[in-house]
Amino acid sequence: MKDYTYMVSRQLKWMFYILAIFVSGWGFTDYQTIFAGLILGTGISTFNLWLLQVKINRIGQGVVEQDEKKRTLGMLTRFATAALAAVVALQYPEIFNMIAVMIGLMTPYLVIIIDYFFTQTELTTRKRGE
Amino acid sequence: MNMLAAAIAVGLGALGAGIGNGLIVNGTVSGIARQPELRGTLQTTMFIGVALVEALPIIAVVIAFMAM
Repeated sequence: MKDYTYMVSRQLKWMFYILAIFVSGWGFTDYQTIFAGLILGTGISTFNLWLLQVKINRIGQGVVEQDEKKRTLGMLTRFATAALAAVVALQYPEIFNMIAVMIGLMTPYLVIIIDYFFTQTELTTRKRGE
Repeated sequence: MNMLAAAIAVGLGALGAGIGNGLIVNGTVSGIARQPELRGTLQTTMFIGVALVEALPIIAVVIAFMAM
């Protein structure tokens, strides 16, 4: 169970690092619309990532405790937040760049894949007893 | 016509994601029910699967709003 908890905190940590980089870019560079779009997309996708982690943990908990309660994965909520980001970016094109919002929405998938790759490499190349 | 395109994009994306998520959750839940001590590993695999399955429908939602 510990590896899932560690993975959750690691991924959220990297998302907040990336968000901090985008905020710095928004404050210190001239590409304000691009970085504002990246901040919007990454902020919303960080919420989506956290929601997915919490929901999956609740499903696992429910199965272990043999809870009869019906649980969902929250797919509709995640679609709705992505739609919210799109609507905000379309409503204010002078503040948010649309392509940047889409790239921001896809940031957690990169984090997940890279994190999984590094964790698997670390686990499979470690020798016995280390 | 644009509304129809948006509806088809979101609808087919959500259909695929629903089927994919259903298969993933089915496998994981039966795995955890058989071996509760493997919950962490199975949950990690389920998380990565569900996240990657839902990437495409989320893009479809954004593209649908752009097409509308």
